[in-house]
Amino acid sequence: MTSSTNHGNPIHGDTSDGPVMIEARGVEKWYPNGFHALRGVDLTVRQGEVVVVMGPSGSGKSTFIRTFNALEDFQKGSIVVDGIPLANDVRQIDAVRREVGMVFQQFNLFPHLTVLENLTLAPVLVRKRPTAEVERQALELLERVGIHEQARKYPGQLSGGQQQRVAIARSLCMEPRILLFDEPTSALDPEMVQEVLAVMQELARDGMTMVVVTHEVRFARQVASRVVLMAEGQVVEEAPPEQFFTNPQHPRSRQFLSQIA
Amino acid sequence: MNPLVQRLRRELFATPFDALISIGLITALLVAAAALLKWALFQAQWAVIQANSTLFAVGRYPADQQWRLWLLTALLAAATGLSWGLLRATPRAGRPERLWPRNDRLAVAILLALALLVPLGLGLQLPIQVRWWLIAAVLVGLRWASGRWAGLLSAASLALVPLLWPVLYLLGMVLISGGLGLIQVPPSEWGGLLLTLIQASFAILLCFPLGVLLALGRRSTLPLLRWGSVLYIEFIRGAPLITLLFLGQNILGFLLPGGMTPERVWRAAWVLTLFAAAYVAEAVRSGLAAVPSGQLEAARSLGLSVPRALVHVVLPQALRVALPATVGQFISLLQDTTLLSLIGLLELLGTARTVMANPAFLGKNAEVYLVLAVLFWCCCAALGLGSRALETRLNTHPSPTATSQA
Repeated sequence: MTSSTNHGNPIHGDTSDGPVMIEARGVEKWYPNGFHALRGVDLTVRQGEVVVVMGPSGSGKSTFIRTFNALEDFQKGSIVVDGIPLANDVRQIDAVRREVGMVFQQFNLFPHLTVLENLTLAPVLVRKRPTAEVERQALELLERVGIHEQARKYPGQLSGGQQQRVAIARSLCMEPRILLFDEPTSALDPEMVQEVLAVMQELARDGMTMVVVTHEVRFARQVASRVVLMAEGQVVEEAPPEQFFTNPQHPRSRQFLSQIA
Repeated sequence: MNPLVQRLRRELFATPFDALISIGLITALLVAAAALLKWALFQAQWAVIQANSTLFAVGRYPADQQWRLWLLTALLAAATGLSWGLLRATPRAGRPERLWPRNDRLAVAILLALALLVPLGLGLQLPIQVRWWLIAAVLVGLRWASGRWAGLLSAASLALVPLLWPVLYLLGMVLISGGLGLIQVPPSEWGGLLLTLIQASFAILLCFPLGVLLALGRRSTLPLLRWGSVLYIEFIRGAPLITLLFLGQNILGFLLPGGMTPERVWRAAWVLTLFAAAYVAEAVRSGLAAVPSGQLEAARSLGLSVPRALVHVVLPQALRVALPATVGQFISLLQDTTLLSLIGLLELLGTARTVMANPAFLGKNAEVYLVLAVLFWCCCAALGLGSRALETRLNTHPSPTATSQA
């Protein structure tokens, strides 16, 4: 494993001495069918960092980031998110989920609610904020991701790219300290990928702490502080993007890069 | 050539085989219709219905208290007209609704025709005929007025309108059974259509929430809850309703001191409820299965607790999918109330059997059964129409599976 001392984020500078937002140590997970999905994974994410996780399918990268907000449990090791240790305590899990937003491959917008209601549901119910105030913020966020004129429509009336931007805005409306992206552009038609990546890039510029599972090399090169390559449930290489893409150290990385190039 | 003739030729007589089937079916239909008409107009003796119309409607409900039922019917008509008009006047997002769609005009026409012709055809007394006309006028009048002037109501008062129905239901139970200064009319004196509707509405209203809870229990991660729900659902679905009805009368009879016959009506209502809940649970379960797991994950990752995620995200989608099957269950529940005649309750079928046992009306079975069938058909058709209207109204968004594939 190649450990990097340079935590610089190419688009918003040095984050190497920021507070630790996610600390995963020796995380191991077995699925109920016995499959050993995670085999002792370590990762540290500091405030303002954008960590891109890459790897072949089945390498455990999605499973790994889904442990950060307890959508997946794990059997060994420890994960501390924003100072809160993830244990099987429901209250702590709820506390973590309030601070960690997640954007899914399939968007998972609520189809029975309008775009605006998708955004306001959780802040009103969970954060107990007044509806009018949340609506104002939601409209601002929708404007920021470029779809405020669709606020009263239902998700099914939007394109895939628009839906994913709504999903990002929905996460932001909870004012999370960390955003997780689980292959956010994999289910999109090619011409819609860029509009979603542009929104993510802007978030990174504004200093959001992000962990992104993606195959988008250009995004990783331009935005990532670090690239992590996972294979067979382990981190095999962790390096700044320039180094990772031009001079990968591990044979598994070279093999992966030759396959996606 | 006449377009109608063209269309008939295209749809009924396109090929020799089609023509053969069409001619055969049309002949059979005409023969049957002619026979039915001939019987209904010349042979049938409708005096049995005429003489027993009150019995069929309300059973042995005391005559001097029947004004309470008339009042309730008028209130129900008013609430229906009001809700109907307001529903049409408040369009949902993305789906403008017309104030008077063609189906609504048709429904009003049929309603007025029925209110005018049925009492007339049955030869009811004039005061009773007038009451039916007034009730129909209240319904149609409020439908018209509330659609016309809905704009005068504030959004807050519009939101209160659905509350009208539970309030009216409770008020209806007081009007029927007494209390609050009204004379008590014990359940043993309820009968006919009144008893059928009481039983069916009680069971429909209660079996729905119970069924939802059972469906959620069946999918729960708590083993005790899951197995309890499975056991209950499978036991109920494995037993015929009639045995459960007898069982209900007997088991509750063991538990309670004897001679509590008036309670039989409520015992039967509870058995119906518990029976239907198991079937509703299966309908809701299929609805829950249609909601992608990502919906719950998204709700949970936004910090919603499991109960909140269920109430605000999963159930609204699941129940929409489950709606047609659930209403189908309600319709069979309504029809299943006829089984109550076998445990000695005088609902519609039970009343009919006592009437037919009366020597004065011997041999008038066909007339009685036909009226019964038409009454049930009307109730079931109303349920079906209501459900379809609800489906159209909820159909502002594609099904959950369609969106996740988008």
